[in-house]
Amino acid sequence: MSVRLADTQARFHALVTAREDVAAIAGRDTAARGAVDAMVVGDERLSAVERLDLYATMYFVRIHDVLRDEYARTIALLGGEAFHALVTDYLQACPPAHPSLREAGARLPGFVAGHALASDRPWLAELARLERARLEVFDGPDATPVSLAALRAIAPERFGALRLSLIPAHRVLANRFTIAPLWRAQAPEDAALPREAPGTLQPREAREVLIVWRGDVDVFHRAADDDEARWFPRLADSGGVAFETLCAALAETRDDAAAAARAFELVARWAGEGLLRADAIAG
Amino acid sequence: MQGFPHLGTGIGLRPPHYADVAAGRARVDWLEVITENFLVEGGNPRRVLRAVRERYPVVLHGVSMSLGSVDPLDDRYLDGLTALAREIQPAWISDHLCWSSFGGHSAHDLWPLPYTEEALRHVAARIARVQERLGRRILIENVSSYLTFRHSTMTEWEFLSALTKEADCGLLLDVNNVFVSARNHGFDPIAFIDGVPRERVGQFHLAGHSDKGTHLLDTHDHPVCDEVWTLYRHAVRRFGAQATLLERDDDIPSLDDLVAEARRAADVVAATEAA
Repeated sequence: MSVRLADTQARFHALVTAREDVAAIAGRDTAARGAVDAMVVGDERLSAVERLDLYATMYFVRIHDVLRDEYARTIALLGGEAFHALVTDYLQACPPAHPSLREAGARLPGFVAGHALASDRPWLAELARLERARLEVFDGPDATPVSLAALRAIAPERFGALRLSLIPAHRVLANRFTIAPLWRAQAPEDAALPREAPGTLQPREAREVLIVWRGDVDVFHRAADDDEARWFPRLADSGGVAFETLCAALAETRDDAAAAARAFELVARWAGEGLLRADAIAG
Repeated sequence: MQGFPHLGTGIGLRPPHYADVAAGRARVDWLEVITENFLVEGGNPRRVLRAVRERYPVVLHGVSMSLGSVDPLDDRYLDGLTALAREIQPAWISDHLCWSSFGGHSAHDLWPLPYTEEALRHVAARIARVQERLGRRILIENVSSYLTFRHSTMTEWEFLSALTKEADCGLLLDVNNVFVSARNHGFDPIAFIDGVPRERVGQFHLAGHSDKGTHLLDTHDHPVCDEVWTLYRHAVRRFGAQATLLERDDDIPSLDDLVAEARRAADVVAATEAA
């Protein structure tokens, strides 16, 4: 009797990607054991179940190891055992659906938010989201940022109409907790980052907006101040924001001169950090 | 094989060597890159690939085409591959004889197929569709495997021979995978190499593996072992000089050491041709 390819793949897939290993399934389910033996050749070195379990192990380990690298700080806080359990649950709830292994962990931050591990670590999903955002901007679309020198070369009368927009390789993350100090505190030993004092390890519940972006081949993030937190989402729109609009909005809480000074300060900072698109400035 | 020129000796491009290779410091004839690592919108990977391509011939080697799956071919993936190939102009494109997706789930592994007439027709038709879409013939690589399906009706090399003929594609003969699978399933690796059609082989892969006692695991974390070099000599005698690629994915040595190991392949070819 011929065995359909679709049936073979369905059976293989179900066993190899199950929460339990194949030996555990076959050990308590004689029908499953019979199906494995009917499908796969075993020998004196490895039984059919053991051979399928090699694939089950490789499936889990390959994805687990990618997520371990991608979420290094999350795993540092959780510990390897808890992270292993998290990945086990995650793969059942959110099996990878993209051909690139780099996308396997894309849904982990959202999954963490609803996971039991987050019940006494309500900031965990936000830390994971920052780690994921840094990876995404690393591979994000290229764009030439405007330089500070180019900005300074623009005639004053043209400044008001300048449209400001952020480079595409960026993310704006609105957090409930102070994640930036936590991220620094969990830096690997070889990272050239200032390490926080131990007392700052527990994130505080306080609104924090982070801007994450790529400059050349390096990824950066920092906390936004109140003005930036308000404007980054609008600057992310493809059309951007006119400089004069920024000035007018800032003038709602300041006099005109202070608003203009503040606007120039912000734009100079963003240009110095490589956050503003050059083509938008040119346009 | 026509369409797959003998590029010489190459290595797989891996992140620890990105900077040196992009600067032209790899003394190899060509580079093979993992397609999926460069199917991104921009950033460092694409920048490195463009720089490498300016200096070396490049081959795109995929792991996610899932040619053996009963799932539909992934149009999004093929669109990305087509665009990448248009930009990079690879010497050729290759992927594996395997399946890696089911029910929309990408497993990121190279799962084995049963060697049956149904699987043969299925995979051949999909390769033909991919080749039509890409506008070129591709190479299909034999994978290392750890199990045999009871209902297989032919050997792996019989399947590959029929497949390359029916789909009119080439064969990327991974000599290490032949060795690993031969040990794991108890067949003669020479029979495999002598069993695939001479005119279909367009490239060789060499790599290391790990001995787990009960089986060999295709880990790409060791130098090529002597037995695989011996098998490679046999392959060169049978198929002639073909572009040869050394793969290393873990415990990656320095670029110089990796290149030195890869150059052994050129020595084997020279010695074989002189004999």
